[in-house]
Amino acid sequence: MFRRVLIANRGEIAQRVIRACRELGIETVAVYSQADAGALYLRQADETICIGAPAGDRSYLHIPSIISAAEISDVEAIHPGYGFLAENFHFAEVCNSCNIHFIGPDPETIEALGHKANARAMAVAAGVPVVPGSDGAVEDETQAMDVAHELGYPVMIKAAAGGGGRGMRIARNDPSLVSGFHAARAEAKAAFGDETVYLEKFVENPRHVEFQILGDMQGNVVHLFERDCSVQRRHQKLIEESPSPHLTPEKRAEMGAAAVRMAKAAKYHNAGTVEFLVDSRGDFYFIEVNARIQVEHTVTEMVTGVDLIQQQLRLASGEPLSFTQEDLTQTGHAIECRINAEDPDRDFQPSPGLIDLFVPPGGPGVRVDSHGYSGYRIPPNYDSMIGKLLAHRSDREQAIRTMIRALDEFVVEGPKTTIPLLRKVMTHPDFRTSSHDTGFVERYFGARPATAPAREAK
Amino acid sequence: MELRLIQRLVRMMQKGELTELELDDQKEGVRLRLKRGGDAPPTPVVHVTQGAAAAPVALPVAAAEPATEAAPELAGTPYTSPMVGTFYSAPAPDADPFVRPGTRIEPDTVLCIIEAMKVMNEIKAETSGEIVEVLVENGEPVEFGQPLFLIK
Repeated sequence: MFRRVLIANRGEIAQRVIRACRELGIETVAVYSQADAGALYLRQADETICIGAPAGDRSYLHIPSIISAAEISDVEAIHPGYGFLAENFHFAEVCNSCNIHFIGPDPETIEALGHKANARAMAVAAGVPVVPGSDGAVEDETQAMDVAHELGYPVMIKAAAGGGGRGMRIARNDPSLVSGFHAARAEAKAAFGDETVYLEKFVENPRHVEFQILGDMQGNVVHLFERDCSVQRRHQKLIEESPSPHLTPEKRAEMGAAAVRMAKAAKYHNAGTVEFLVDSRGDFYFIEVNARIQVEHTVTEMVTGVDLIQQQLRLASGEPLSFTQEDLTQTGHAIECRINAEDPDRDFQPSPGLIDLFVPPGGPGVRVDSHGYSGYRIPPNYDSMIGKLLAHRSDREQAIRTMIRALDEFVVEGPKTTIPLLRKVMTHPDFRTSSHDTGFVERYFGARPATAPAREAK
Repeated sequence: MELRLIQRLVRMMQKGELTELELDDQKEGVRLRLKRGGDAPPTPVVHVTQGAAAAPVALPVAAAEPATEAAPELAGTPYTSPMVGTFYSAPAPDADPFVRPGTRIEPDTVLCIIEAMKVMNEIKAETSGEIVEVLVENGEPVEFGQPLFLIK
């Protein structure tokens, strides 16, 4: 096991990794930007190093600064958290070349899975169902038209190097296909420096169901069941739960096996997530693999009892998995709500600034992962999530009741938050009966609809 | 705090002619703040003899009001590290340091080297003036924004 680990991230996930390290007796080095100087979670680390200015590309995304900090603090491994450098294969390569363990899969795996067309081809080869679409890149209008007619409208145009909804367009007929094709290419070129696009059949009103996987360096892979992330707003997940109310035990086993096949095909080790769309008939389609720990990993931790961050540290140090698929079970029902500092009255714009009063809820069945506190100033430079609230109970209805009670208890004075919206969702009949899909929030809560369909949510 | 440690600190303060010493030991994080010259003005004298060019301005101020508030003004402007890495005061282990207290500097004067990712980065002054103090030891790790020199 590692003696000393550097955390190349901030806020909630930096705190989460520090907690796991402390429980395993690992020393921690937290790096921070000037915008995060003085934040309380930094006190829990054994050492802190300021690595740069507030802007992400001058601190948390600046590879030379992070590697330099790792070298002066003499760490054996770097945990990238999520976002920032978590899925940057070049960063993983640099870590390896500096003899620092990158806590995540191999750079080759990250690179192979990061290219969507490539990941799709891997899925097909591994016998994992994919959304019907073009085999590889679509080069021009004529080819796009041919493929669209073969698939049948609506279709989706997607950037090969894409993510987060950029470079994505839905087309419902020939004219919108032509304009969407060029718009998606231009957007992809601007956002990713790569104008390659491909076409897929557009699955309407899908549910977003993802499987957590863990793999060791010995080639063993298990899945830790699913998370249903169908409550989204503009590609951003708001609420996640496990188990998914829509999967039968047979479908769960089938999808879990597909996720494991996909991971093995990618020679995946460490923690990752295989994302699927599930249509109204219950058919599932592979979307992508997230080669990192995710925000909502906590939901899986609650129902399986497995500490995923501790597992990441163990697996990255070369330990084999200490359990098999048969050892894993889902117990009860867990729901997570993301508490974001956003203003619902101003189209959910970020609402940074001073938190005057912060009183998180507690009591039976409640978990709060947050770096917030009374007197904390939320910097405007990063994303607006200030914490995650989880309820874990024996069944879904009881978990919802606990969640509503906990949301009512949660006091955040100063910035505007998503707490009131989350409460509305919890009490909405569609959510109660779990008949919602990924378009649910936009449909019922007046938020402006997304420019592209809610699919590649982060 | 141990009595022996206090005695040692007092002796150290007498030797260094300090009137105030603030020690902030946050679990060996150890932060020291020294204050020199409360009513007696021993430090302003140093200022006059060194700062030949700047003396006309500095002298009357120091002589007129040698209060404790004068201390930060005398110290000069901190020059902060532009990157995280290892600080080297000289181009080679046996070479003379790039700058010492009293060294005149120009914008392209190399002040030190900071090693980051095995790359030796020459750090230039980007301002003109004079080094008052070197705040970091050779070979010491430094973080972004950490004061390296005092410049006036």
